[in-house]
Amino acid sequence: MTRPGIFQRLSEAPTNPHTPVAAHTFDVADLYRGPVGGDTTSSDGARRPLDEKLRQAYFWIVNTAIISPHYDVEYNDQPPASFLVGDSQVRLTLPSAQSYSSFVLLPLLTFATRRKCLFVGGPGRGKTASAVLMGVLAGYPVRDVRRAMQHGHPQMTIADLLGNPLPADLVNAQRLDDIRISWRKWLSMRVKIVDEYNRIPTRTQSALLTVMGDNYAEVLDQIYECPESAWFLTANDEQGGGTYQVIEALRDRIDVVVQALAFNSRFLGDLLTRVEENIRPEEVVPREIVFDEAEVDRLQDEIVSVEFPLDVRRRLEFFASQFELCEVAAEQFEYKTKDTARLAGADWHTLVAQDTGRDRLKDPGAQTKNGLSVRALLTLLHYAKAMAYFRGNRVVDLEDVRQILPFVLHDKLVPDTDAPFFDAPGHGAFRTDRIGWLRRLFDASCAEYDRLDLDRDDPVGALAAEFRLGLDGLTEREVRLRLLKIERLVTENAKGRKLFGNLYDDLLSLKYLHQRYTNYLRWLKTR
Amino acid sequence: MVSDAFAAVLRARRNEFNARFAEARRQNSGAEPVAFGAFLETTADVVVRAVDRVLPNCVPDVAAVAYEVGLQLVSHRLAGPGARHGALDEAWRRILPAAATLVAEAPRRVLPAMSNAAHHLAAAPGARVSAWIEALERLAPRCPDADTLLTLGQVAAWRAGLAHYRESALAAADTLPESLALSALDAVEGACWPTIRARLRAEPWFDPSRPVQEERSSDALSVAATVGAFRGFGGLFTEPPRVRAVGEWLYVQSGDEFWVLTADVFGATLHRVPVDAVASASLRLDLPPEVKVTRRGVEWRKRVLDTRAFGDPISVATTSTTLAVSCSASHHVILLPRPPIS
Repeated sequence: MTRPGIFQRLSEAPTNPHTPVAAHTFDVADLYRGPVGGDTTSSDGARRPLDEKLRQAYFWIVNTAIISPHYDVEYNDQPPASFLVGDSQVRLTLPSAQSYSSFVLLPLLTFATRRKCLFVGGPGRGKTASAVLMGVLAGYPVRDVRRAMQHGHPQMTIADLLGNPLPADLVNAQRLDDIRISWRKWLSMRVKIVDEYNRIPTRTQSALLTVMGDNYAEVLDQIYECPESAWFLTANDEQGGGTYQVIEALRDRIDVVVQALAFNSRFLGDLLTRVEENIRPEEVVPREIVFDEAEVDRLQDEIVSVEFPLDVRRRLEFFASQFELCEVAAEQFEYKTKDTARLAGADWHTLVAQDTGRDRLKDPGAQTKNGLSVRALLTLLHYAKAMAYFRGNRVVDLEDVRQILPFVLHDKLVPDTDAPFFDAPGHGAFRTDRIGWLRRLFDASCAEYDRLDLDRDDPVGALAAEFRLGLDGLTEREVRLRLLKIERLVTENAKGRKLFGNLYDDLLSLKYLHQRYTNYLRWLKTR
Repeated sequence: MVSDAFAAVLRARRNEFNARFAEARRQNSGAEPVAFGAFLETTADVVVRAVDRVLPNCVPDVAAVAYEVGLQLVSHRLAGPGARHGALDEAWRRILPAAATLVAEAPRRVLPAMSNAAHHLAAAPGARVSAWIEALERLAPRCPDADTLLTLGQVAAWRAGLAHYRESALAAADTLPESLALSALDAVEGACWPTIRARLRAEPWFDPSRPVQEERSSDALSVAATVGAFRGFGGLFTEPPRVRAVGEWLYVQSGDEFWVLTADVFGATLHRVPVDAVASASLRLDLPPEVKVTRRGVEWRKRVLDTRAFGDPISVATTSTTLAVSCSASHHVILLPRPPIS
């Protein structure tokens, strides 16, 4: 039921309108829709499109619950108005299409996809409040959400986090199996909140990693299987590491990082209203934007079914190919990666000092200390689909990838701030602005992709597409022709060209194709 | 003074209710304390008292919902002393006590639904909201659950003049107990639902409350309904309308505005449509051969409608069941049922 007032008002207009369909369809169910909101029909929830419900939740949060007037996820349907401000000529753009606040949008997409979001930012900026809101959106009472929230502190033990063995069982048990565990309630919740996770001791972080990564908890050989859930973690001092250094594996499990931006002093009046009215937004979340478990299941299914078109995927592939190559890390071609160097414990500065002949200013790979993991790419695909879905589309747009990418790769792609790129005029700010740096990196990659005209001229892509049609029925002659084509392409690519990341991936891909055809040819001969 | 039961809930949640009123007041100046107080005393309390009589344990929940819904209604001047019409107050005072058990069981469904429905009916020109209220007040005690009550309300709303809901209301009526469906449509005694339903589906001008022996044919075309009025008198049309048919849909044009017209024996409603929707449609401008426009009026299957009091006929359109006529000196659209072949 909608309660009155600004804290219960939902956006009534289509929040991202599309061309209406179906004229002259009159449904008597509309009789019960009107100025008063509520559970007017039992099937209302099932009928309402969930993407619209998600948008309504977003707009309720930004308009009512969280004062976040930062539209940093910018969409344009025509060239935006743009202004240069100040001595440093900072660019301010006024987006021409519906744009969003990452601080609200990313947690909401995390909720919808049941993934893991880290809020970073100074104390008192609404990180925990946002996380609590997500718990309330999942249908939990505010009190339960607050009680289930795990507060990281230096004395936190595994028992504090997961649960305790029952004392009577500890005394009487003859075997470990006989010891029952009193599991903490938060483990069973579909929204899990860990406040100040970087204050948790390292040993307890490992237990948390098991829950986050493998979705189960273990105490004294007893296992508790957790339900699929969305995770929200907060950290005051993400870069500095907090009380304890966060173990890398735990950090890697986090899918997106969002920063709580500074409070805009023009909105002090809104704060005053809250003080005077004594209202906590999380306590007045409209029921219409609360999702039950089945709805979140449906959300996930619908998001996964959003199409990721080939042309967008190719650009993402091209981008992802730029970073892993480290020519001097190994002798064998496959091992020429930054990961090889990292595993060997090689000194980074020594590595980068070895000249490979590439222009380190232009090479995107020179800007990072690592490449992209499979997990990072999977996360990127998920969130790009979620972003498209949230906007009411069923096909991912390049702009969806562009907007979501910096938040996913925030902690995944580590910049080498000593790289020449960061010393270039106007690039100094990218040392501290990871979102801006990553977006620029993607833009530069897309520009290079266009320059190479890979949308129209992609011989490696054509060979891969040809291979994907299958080997059944291919004659020996045809296979030999294809092998020849591959070898010619390798020769052509290798001739007089610097080895950049994208070429490295292409060559490995050609080697893969060559090997598959070679194996097939061998099989043909033995028949 | 409100009842003790209601007063106890208001007292127990005083701070919360006051905060909500303050929010509503800041958001909407229509939330007048005096008006809202009067609404709580004279309307909401009637509902709470009725619930207190049947299921006193449910009073706190019902009272809270009544407060919330009432606050929205009063803020929008839809209920209370300053309301644009008294339909919602009347619906609360008559329907909800009659359905007290169902209200107690599902207040968050029933209260908003009944309020919205009463608002729809009160706002629809030509709809008979009092007939809807009367039907629900009479029949609500026969509903076993809230779903049945809501379905009954839908069928009764069609019966009260919302002709555009005809198809879906018929489908809704199928889910009601037969006796309740027949009562909702005020069918003649002894009628059976399958027969009534079949005729309603085929004949929009069939009146289920009219005994068969009264369904006599006449030499004159009988006017079933006149729809619309001059905008200066509260209607929709700025100039005498013109009618057109597209398939089984009737369209009305007045000036540069268009409406789709739905009509049956229970009522007629107009719904604004974009110009594009009509302009792109294939309009059927030709009339069937049995329809003739003469100096006296319109002749259809040798029966005559004398239109001289309305001026010369300026447009005529037919569907398979209905003839629509508009005239030069009138802002009405005249609707006639298709006469039987003589």
